[in-house]
Amino acid sequence: MFLESVLIFAKIIAVVAPLMIAVAYYTYAERKLIGYVQIRIGPNRVGPRGWLQPIADALKLMFKEIILPTKANRYLFIIAPMLSIAPALAAWAVIPFADGWVVADINAGLLYLLAMTSLGVYGVIIAGWASNSKYALLGALRSAAQIVAYEIAMGFALVGVLMAAGSLNLSAIVHAQATGYGFLGWYWVPLFPLFLIYFISGVAETNRAPFDVAEGESEIVAGFHVEYSGMLFAVFFLAEYANMILIAALTTLMFMGGWLSPFQGTGLEAYFAWMPQIFWFFAKMTLFLLLFLWFRATFPRYRYDQIMRLGWKVFIPLTIVWLVVLGVMILTHLSPWFASTAG
Amino acid sequence: MARIEIDGKTYEVEAGKTLIEITDAHGIEIPRFCYHKKLSVAASCRMCLVDVANAPKPLPACATPVWDGMKIQTRSPRAINAQKAVMEFLLINHPLDCPICDQGGECELQDVAVAYGKDRTRFIEEKRIVIDKNIGALISTAFTRCIHCTRCVRFGEEIAGVKELGATQRGDHMRIDTYMTDTVNSELSGNVIDLCPVGALTAKPSRFAARPWELHTAHGIAPHDAFGSHLEFHIRRNQVMRVVPRENVALNEVWLSDRDRFSYQGLYAQDRLTAPMIKKDGQWQTVDWESALLFAAEGLKKIPAKQLGGLASATATVEELYLLQKLLRGLGSNNIDHRLQQVDFSEKTTKAPFLNQRPADLAQADVVLLVCANLRKQQPLLNHRLRQAVLHNHAEVIRINVYDYPQNFPVSHNLTVAPHQLVATLAGIAKALDEAQPAFKNIEISEQQRAIAACLQKNNKKIKVLLGEAADNLPQLASIRTLTALIAKLTFATFSETGRYANSAGAILAGALPQQTLAGQAISGETGLNAQQMLSQSLQAYVLLGFEPELDSIMGATALQTLQNAPFVVAINGFCTEAMQGYANVLLPMALFAETSGTYVNNSGDWQRFTAAVAPVGSARPAWKILRVLANLLDVHDFAYTASDEILNEVKMLCETSAQTVEDSTWVLSAPQALCYLTEPAIYAGDALVRRATALQATADAQACHGAHVNQRTADKLRLSAGQQVKLSQNGGSAILPLVIDAALADDCVLVYTGLAESAGLAHDVGTIDLTAA
Amino acid sequence: MFKQHVKSLLLLELLKGLRLTGRYLFAKKFTVQYPEEKTPMSPRFRGQHALRRYDNGEERCIACKLCEAVCPALAITIEAAERADGTRRTTRYDIDLYKCIFCGFCEEACPVDAIVETRHFEYHGEQAGDLLMTKEKLLALGDKLSDEISRDRASDAPYR
Repeated sequence: MFLESVLIFAKIIAVVAPLMIAVAYYTYAERKLIGYVQIRIGPNRVGPRGWLQPIADALKLMFKEIILPTKANRYLFIIAPMLSIAPALAAWAVIPFADGWVVADINAGLLYLLAMTSLGVYGVIIAGWASNSKYALLGALRSAAQIVAYEIAMGFALVGVLMAAGSLNLSAIVHAQATGYGFLGWYWVPLFPLFLIYFISGVAETNRAPFDVAEGESEIVAGFHVEYSGMLFAVFFLAEYANMILIAALTTLMFMGGWLSPFQGTGLEAYFAWMPQIFWFFAKMTLFLLLFLWFRATFPRYRYDQIMRLGWKVFIPLTIVWLVVLGVMILTHLSPWFASTAG
Repeated sequence: MARIEIDGKTYEVEAGKTLIEITDAHGIEIPRFCYHKKLSVAASCRMCLVDVANAPKPLPACATPVWDGMKIQTRSPRAINAQKAVMEFLLINHPLDCPICDQGGECELQDVAVAYGKDRTRFIEEKRIVIDKNIGALISTAFTRCIHCTRCVRFGEEIAGVKELGATQRGDHMRIDTYMTDTVNSELSGNVIDLCPVGALTAKPSRFAARPWELHTAHGIAPHDAFGSHLEFHIRRNQVMRVVPRENVALNEVWLSDRDRFSYQGLYAQDRLTAPMIKKDGQWQTVDWESALLFAAEGLKKIPAKQLGGLASATATVEELYLLQKLLRGLGSNNIDHRLQQVDFSEKTTKAPFLNQRPADLAQADVVLLVCANLRKQQPLLNHRLRQAVLHNHAEVIRINVYDYPQNFPVSHNLTVAPHQLVATLAGIAKALDEAQPAFKNIEISEQQRAIAACLQKNNKKIKVLLGEAADNLPQLASIRTLTALIAKLTFATFSETGRYANSAGAILAGALPQQTLAGQAISGETGLNAQQMLSQSLQAYVLLGFEPELDSIMGATALQTLQNAPFVVAINGFCTEAMQGYANVLLPMALFAETSGTYVNNSGDWQRFTAAVAPVGSARPAWKILRVLANLLDVHDFAYTASDEILNEVKMLCETSAQTVEDSTWVLSAPQALCYLTEPAIYAGDALVRRATALQATADAQACHGAHVNQRTADKLRLSAGQQVKLSQNGGSAILPLVIDAALADDCVLVYTGLAESAGLAHDVGTIDLTAA
Repeated sequence: MFKQHVKSLLLLELLKGLRLTGRYLFAKKFTVQYPEEKTPMSPRFRGQHALRRYDNGEERCIACKLCEAVCPALAITIEAAERADGTRRTTRYDIDLYKCIFCGFCEEACPVDAIVETRHFEYHGEQAGDLLMTKEKLLALGDKLSDEISRDRASDAPYR
């Protein structure tokens, strides 16, 4: 029993610690990438080429004073960032990094993920409420409405995956994509619209540009975390980036064949057999993470009503239509993706 | 009427007027430098040249009368050409020193040069330079900038009545300079600063201190004489930077006396009281308002009402004086007075001094009798109206006075007599007018008196009798007033009293008197003590409002002594002197002129309300607020005022609804004295504010007030010589002063001005004065 | 209409945008590595203010207050008075650098070239009030940089 607990704890550490480092260097990558897009060179003063910049930032945030606004609800104010980061970390429990490399290989993994990613919004709403600040409250309200809108589209997109794979277990979903046609055998091809919608909704769920009206620094200063400083702010920050990495991981798992080699089942598979599965997983994740940044560097922020229109009037109808199309594909056992599906 | 056409538009105008008067009235702009509506036409600057049809050359608008059918163009090529040419000539010798010139920004030459001049100069020769001259403490000169418009010269001749500035030499060598004296000494000299269209004459006290664009203006009322000129404060960063006249056709026209113009300096004197102070255990400590007022109220509560006295200066506003008397009467004391300069309190009722006519009416007079009036120095702008009567209406002026003040117009009969002869002189004139009256049985009439009487007895002439402010200081005041009024009655003349202080009339209307209250209503019950009694017999407590007893009271030394003996003195004052710290127990800083709102009643009978222009210095408060809170702390009823207008409305309502009953007074001949002591406030030391205006103290007028004045005969009799230090001693005081020989005095009189530190040791004693070599 | 729908459903415009930013990702960077590298500076550069003197050591400023009047940020405060020798001088000349917007109008307005904006822009204040430039500080800076200021004015003179 004890040993089991230690093992689980070790597994958690093995997942969370690299995740934190990933978040730190993801911020570095973000600043560099956006800098480059803007014909600048980004941080380059702390350490060689600015490598130590995230460390410096983290140190700074740790030593900054945490300011509690007067008349703020101090318990909720402090709990909010924790509520925000806990689900973002907990979701990682069901992520298979490679075949069998998963902390908890549960059959309801997909449902669990849906639950966890939705919970994060409570942190945002509570932060907005507890701050006793109009901007924070506005940010929280926007955030809540936005997440409700995109949660549905996201859910339908996952229904598509569920239909295609016939399982809620993430490892099983990945296995179902090993069709022998390399990267073309993954679900992103038959589920292309759902893939796009899922990723875009993921961007919206994490309140990232161009869907960052919840922060909207040009309108409501910084939105729900306007009153936060120091480590409390840092926790929100961590949660946001952990969520982005999570979305990238999920997209990889559900549409991009997870740890599968892009040459799986083709003649080239043997040449790349020496590559560990986890490498492919991380490579695909990195691609999506860079997309997050690239989006931010490219698109101006949506107007709030445009976000709502996109969520309710475009994404939801589109996913429903595609679910019907998908049903037809499954019934006809469209090769290669659905050749072996029970229909 | 004439029909003329200006720039294509037709106007119906009065024939005979000059063209510039018509264009000014219709808002048509014509540039000018030498023309000024209140001065004669010189037509010397040629800036106002306009193009008149059929005239061979452009004509100056200021000197061209209009005729029927006249066609004028102000902006035709010929007119513009003429204006440009004149401007170019004017700028030949004008230096380009606008950045260091005080006129910069409000300069007529700058404005006209921008609007009518060329933007290039063709003049490459050397410019003219005029060496500057110090012409006194008030006006700073830079004659290199002068464009010879001669406004200042004409002002001296026509308004001030003294030819102090003049144009000497000709052509390129022409320059404005002082003629006879080295300095400009007129009491109206400051007006040349406003007249000068360039920066040749600027104000010395505010030299280089502010730019016109930094200043904002606020309206005010002059605080130093009963004429009540309208003025404008120029304020920068809550500080009065200068004072200029505000045009008022009925009163000061466009002029202002130097005293009203430069007294603002006193606001920022070193000894301004900026925070409330109380004396505890012989030590002065600065405290907050609440504790100071509580301390004052506690002190006053212990005193029986009859032992409480209130004294105010007549420079206080109606509101302040009204509240002071209301406070004291509310506490049960009638000991309240403002007549600090008076020695004769024998009249039962006191009437407010009014001219009973408009100042403009005086300019229409045919015969004027001036009794004890020094209008020229004390009310220069009223004197200006009188001077106009003499110059334009050929009025005859008869002067009877104890001192032969220099006049700036011819006087047909001029009598200078010792005070004790004054009553007899006036009685003689009265008898000559009405020999039948039994009261004049023993009076003899001299030839001169008969001549004066004949002069006053003219039919269909406007005859004015003026009783001046100098009578207040004489022990024969009641008799002089009675006889002067009688003469006015016998000659069917308008009887006027000039009053001395800005609020002499208002103080009486407000009821700051021991025997009568608001609007001259006699009080019921026992009459209170008057100023003289209060300042000679020690009461237990005093409330003093806005004056320095040793300087402002005619009985300086006695007053100081009395107050020093008083157990409790509350001084509400703008300043803090050593003497004040000696006798007072509480010092409450009050807002002064320009810092407070209030009302003055001038001698024309105008209730002139003004508002605060700047915030008070330090934590000073308007005196009416101080009195209100003091009254509240002392539980006096009906003191719930929130604005000074409420007080004014209360006073005004009562003044309008009630008429004063005046008791007839009598006159008595006074006994001759061996050496007669004369006194009056020095021109620039008449109140606490002007006393601290440093620039005015350096003027010739102020300098002339020092010393003990006697005429040569008296000096010979006493074996004294000019410049010698002499000791004046009398009951209750003495002073050592240099002897000044002054031919303007009657025999056996010695004149010492009050308000000066040097004479503060004297106490006015009607009886005797000794003059010996010190 | 149909074309429009295809365009938006296929995210063509978004891809266009991504392509544009993607190209700039690899473009040459313009970053100047200040303080190791510095860009060239014009003699008209408008940096920190200084008050100049004449060669004989007399301060140029005559307290005409034109700079105070023209200052759009109301950053200049001047008190003037007569000096013992009768000339018009400032007794106070403050420039509040917190308010100043470095527009250079003061320099343009000055009839005697007394107030100038120098090339000096690397300054800082360590306490509140350090950046309130008093007359003494301005004159001291003018003295310190007098050669540079004169050189800059001389090089710009032909164009004025």
